[in-house]
Amino acid sequence: MTDTRTLNEKISFERHTPKILKGNFAASEAAKLCKAGFIPAYPITPQTTIVEELSRKVATGEMDATYVNMDSEHSVFAAAMGAAISGERVFTATSGQGLFYAHEVLHAIAHFRLPMVVCNVGRPSIPWNIWADQSDSLAQRDTGWIQLYTETSQEVLDTIIQGYIITETLDIPVMVVLDAFYLSHTSENVWVPEQSLVDEFLPPKKKKGVEVDGYNPKVIGGLIPPDQYETFEYAWWKDVLKVEDLVNRVGKEFGEKFGRSYQAVESVNINENTKIVFVTTSTITTTVRGILDTHPEVGILKLRLIKPFPEKSVVKALSIVSDDTVIAPIERNFLGGKEGAIIQEMKRALYGKRNFKMYDIYAGMGGKDVSPTTIEKMIEKINSNPDEVIWIDFD
Amino acid sequence: MLEIRGHARGGQGMVTAFEILAKIFGQMEGYYVQAFPAFGVERTGAPIQAFLRVSRTPILNRSKIYTPDLIVVFDETLLDQVPIFDGLEKNGAALLNTEKPVERFKNFTENIFTVPATRISLEKGLGSKALPIVNSAMIGAILKVMGEKLDIAEKIIADNVPTKPEENVEAAKMAYENVTGPDETYTYIVDAINSNKPKVMSLSFEERSKLEKKHIEEIPRYPEWYGPMSKNKTGNWRVLTPEYHTNEAPCSLNCPAGTAVREFVKLAGEKSFEEGFKLILEHNPFPAICGRVCPHYCEQNCNRKEYDDSLNIGSIERFLGDWMKDYTPTPVEITNKEKIAIIGSGPAGLTAALRLRNAGYSVTVFEALPKAGGMMRAGIPKFRLPDEVLDREIKRIEASGVEIITNKKVSVKEIENDFDAVIVAVGSHKGYTMGMENEELALDGIDFLREFKLNEKTSGIKKGDKVAIIGGGNTAIDVSRTALRLGAIPTVYYRRTRNEMPAIHIEVEEAIEEGVNFEFLTAPIALKKLNDNEIEVTFIKMKLGEPDSSGRRRPIPINGSEYTVRVNHLIKAIGQEYDEYVFGEKIKTKQGRIDFNSKIPVFCAGDMAWGGTVVEAIGSGNLVAKEVDAFLQNKPYDKKSEVLHRAVTPKDIKFEYYPATPRIKNKTHFDESLYMNFEEVVEGLSEEEVVRESGRCLHCGDCFECGNCFNFCPDAAIYLDEKGRLNINYDYCKGCGICFFECPCSAIDFTLGEVEND
Repeated sequence: MTDTRTLNEKISFERHTPKILKGNFAASEAAKLCKAGFIPAYPITPQTTIVEELSRKVATGEMDATYVNMDSEHSVFAAAMGAAISGERVFTATSGQGLFYAHEVLHAIAHFRLPMVVCNVGRPSIPWNIWADQSDSLAQRDTGWIQLYTETSQEVLDTIIQGYIITETLDIPVMVVLDAFYLSHTSENVWVPEQSLVDEFLPPKKKKGVEVDGYNPKVIGGLIPPDQYETFEYAWWKDVLKVEDLVNRVGKEFGEKFGRSYQAVESVNINENTKIVFVTTSTITTTVRGILDTHPEVGILKLRLIKPFPEKSVVKALSIVSDDTVIAPIERNFLGGKEGAIIQEMKRALYGKRNFKMYDIYAGMGGKDVSPTTIEKMIEKINSNPDEVIWIDFD
Repeated sequence: MLEIRGHARGGQGMVTAFEILAKIFGQMEGYYVQAFPAFGVERTGAPIQAFLRVSRTPILNRSKIYTPDLIVVFDETLLDQVPIFDGLEKNGAALLNTEKPVERFKNFTENIFTVPATRISLEKGLGSKALPIVNSAMIGAILKVMGEKLDIAEKIIADNVPTKPEENVEAAKMAYENVTGPDETYTYIVDAINSNKPKVMSLSFEERSKLEKKHIEEIPRYPEWYGPMSKNKTGNWRVLTPEYHTNEAPCSLNCPAGTAVREFVKLAGEKSFEEGFKLILEHNPFPAICGRVCPHYCEQNCNRKEYDDSLNIGSIERFLGDWMKDYTPTPVEITNKEKIAIIGSGPAGLTAALRLRNAGYSVTVFEALPKAGGMMRAGIPKFRLPDEVLDREIKRIEASGVEIITNKKVSVKEIENDFDAVIVAVGSHKGYTMGMENEELALDGIDFLREFKLNEKTSGIKKGDKVAIIGGGNTAIDVSRTALRLGAIPTVYYRRTRNEMPAIHIEVEEAIEEGVNFEFLTAPIALKKLNDNEIEVTFIKMKLGEPDSSGRRRPIPINGSEYTVRVNHLIKAIGQEYDEYVFGEKIKTKQGRIDFNSKIPVFCAGDMAWGGTVVEAIGSGNLVAKEVDAFLQNKPYDKKSEVLHRAVTPKDIKFEYYPATPRIKNKTHFDESLYMNFEEVVEGLSEEEVVRESGRCLHCGDCFECGNCFNFCPDAAIYLDEKGRLNINYDYCKGCGICFFECPCSAIDFTLGEVEND
């Protein structure tokens, strides 16, 4: 398992330039390094600076890509779909309402088996809010996209590069998710790899012979009769089963090349003595890391891959802890259920395997700050008054 | 790890400053940094926060900074608005941009550093006085307090500021050198940056919980708000402030008499004719006369000219003057002992007389001619200004208690024993000479007009006579039109072109319409008597050269272009001067008090001081009356205080909000035969036309309650008070300026001034 703390202590990476970048700028830098050839764009806070910076890069000739301003996110994803059908390496970014609006096309892209990497900078729907929330991307779990959640600007850059390998290997689209502002607008240390290093890892997109070709016309998207429909789903299902291993393999290979390895899940301070395991995603993970020194009984299970859910990795990470360990997902999402999205996935993964006491913690929605003090409150609540579902600050 | 929390206003560059600081530490080996603002949607002027973490170990906290080690305040006005010192670590410090005493903050922390960042930034020309951009200076000061060097920072500052890189670097350097505080560098901060251990917070869990927890009043069901504007007083976001302000209109500003043109037009439009008339009288006692003979500087400067056509202000004024023709004022009581003499009963003398009489002085006006009125009486023909109009406006002044003694040509010396002050306003009734041989063959234009008007003497001009008139001013035009009516064939010879003619434009138009001939770019050089009835005039053709001191192009004779013309009469109208009899010698005259050896103070006004039109003489009379009153009452009088400010210009007007409407023009009637016809040429407007024409006024600089600001204000910060007047609620006005930009008539100012609610 990877611990970014030990990684960051390796202060220098070869063939890299140290920079101070915001998460959004790390995303656009990655899109450039991956030589995305087609970028349809529509602005929405807090994503806007990603496509804004890309438009600058394209306009100044720093990046060779076709950049198209679209009239809506639905059109953005439709254009992305068309470009991917023709074999382009596609990148774009959106957020919140933009992603909700594109929902219909998200299904189509996944079911067409089109490779692409898209960033979503999470924000909720209503009450109107532009701040950090994961309800937008988690509500798209069933569209068939692979979802990877990122913790640092460095991880944003690295995950986009890995994302293109994953998506182009399996022909399943990849969504890289950032927390609004806590990641998108926070300046921090990022090691930016040289172009040649990225080129060695990620070769130009190979044509598979299925792309639309004007000289060799064919029909795509025609009506599929009932007796054939399932064959497509079966083929896709076979590939879905490969995702978790592929994410782990690509993360490992990336580490060999770049010096920073990644896995589907990251286990921090999980051992025989662990009493509480916080299941975290994205930036809240960092703040939980910060309290481990004063709370050695706490461990972290950071989920990087959420869809398809990395069952094997989760079970393996928790295999070491005792049955009386509390598993406590932190949910920066509210989807109208008694529990948040993460605990649902966790229960499904552990069903029939382990029978932990699980508490679900709703926290940080709509950008509410999750500070070290908030984490300490969570620990206190788990220890003192264990309701199955915990809200902070409502007592 | 060191945690810094910054407080500033949106627009001062704090977020950029923290990003630059992050980049500076990012370039130093072995530092982890994290910089971010308190993510909001506020804009310029709103109080904002930004955060910076600098550490030797990985930064394992992504929340806002609640327990800062260093608090940095970019804007000192925030010190009393925002709880700046909340959560400051026990040994933490504060860096304030201020030059004021900081003793009052000592109970928050002993460790206060200050830097005059605003003064430094202004010295370097960064931002404006009201909104200095202090970020570079603050970077310098922060680095000083952190115990870091400035050298790495210089290039990063220069690369990351949008403008003036050198000045920004200098500001950082100056601030770096000008930090004052308890110690040169504060070891707690230096230690915090370089610590390899996790930060230990001095506040307990309970204290931190209390500090971070926001009080939740209720748990609402729907995302709805009742009266949310009243809860969120966004007025403190404002930098520029809109304010209703009545600005100067060009019509009023350009009226030499200072007539409140915009206001009387408004009253006329509301059919408040009497009020409108009385408003004119406050500055101009001759509305019916000026409505007819004035060059209407108001109309010449009317902003509507840039849109369709200027407002017909003259006719509105004329209508009001005629509407109130029977108005007779009652004289005020004489309350002052000083007696004032005024020599000359022209517009300047009579205006001054009326003002001083109404101020409670005894006033006597001496007039050399048999009738009062000065040049209005002697120089303006009846077809432009009927006697009846002139008589009644003078009679109204007499009704106010002004005594006019006619047929009494006096000098200052002759009356100095009987009065306490004298105003000389004898006008310019003596024509200039051309300075050529046989000049006696030429008649003087001003003499001709006077003799004809007062005594009906035609100076020998008969039907069919050829009359040459020399000059291009109003006198030349009036002479030509009078000669025409006597049956003569007049030709005006002018040495420049029509463009340079000083005569009122419309009068020239009318003269041409009536059949007066014009010859331009020609001047007489010799006169010869041919017989009792005929004169030979030699002219030379001219061309225009460089502009002279009057701004008009100088006429230059063309050698060899001489030609002769035979005429029956030659009338010169090349300018006038005053009759020196009044002083006994030719002295230099000017507006107001003049140096003249007399027992009593002598003041001067009217054409002999400046100007040359009725309205300028009225303005001169107004001014001299104020000066005389101030002198007699021993009060200060400052001529400069009469200087007016800038008026609203066409670019300040949003013409798209006004429907295009043609100007209602005066009808002119030229009868079949003008022979011996001295009827008034120009007709006035009807009541209905006056109201309609008044409605064309743009109301430059004066709110006419169109409601655009009310409709456009995106924050509903504009409201109607109980009297239905528009008001701005500054608790909510964010200073977006939309009201200012959408105000059609420029009656809203938008400046850096701060305004409080009434």
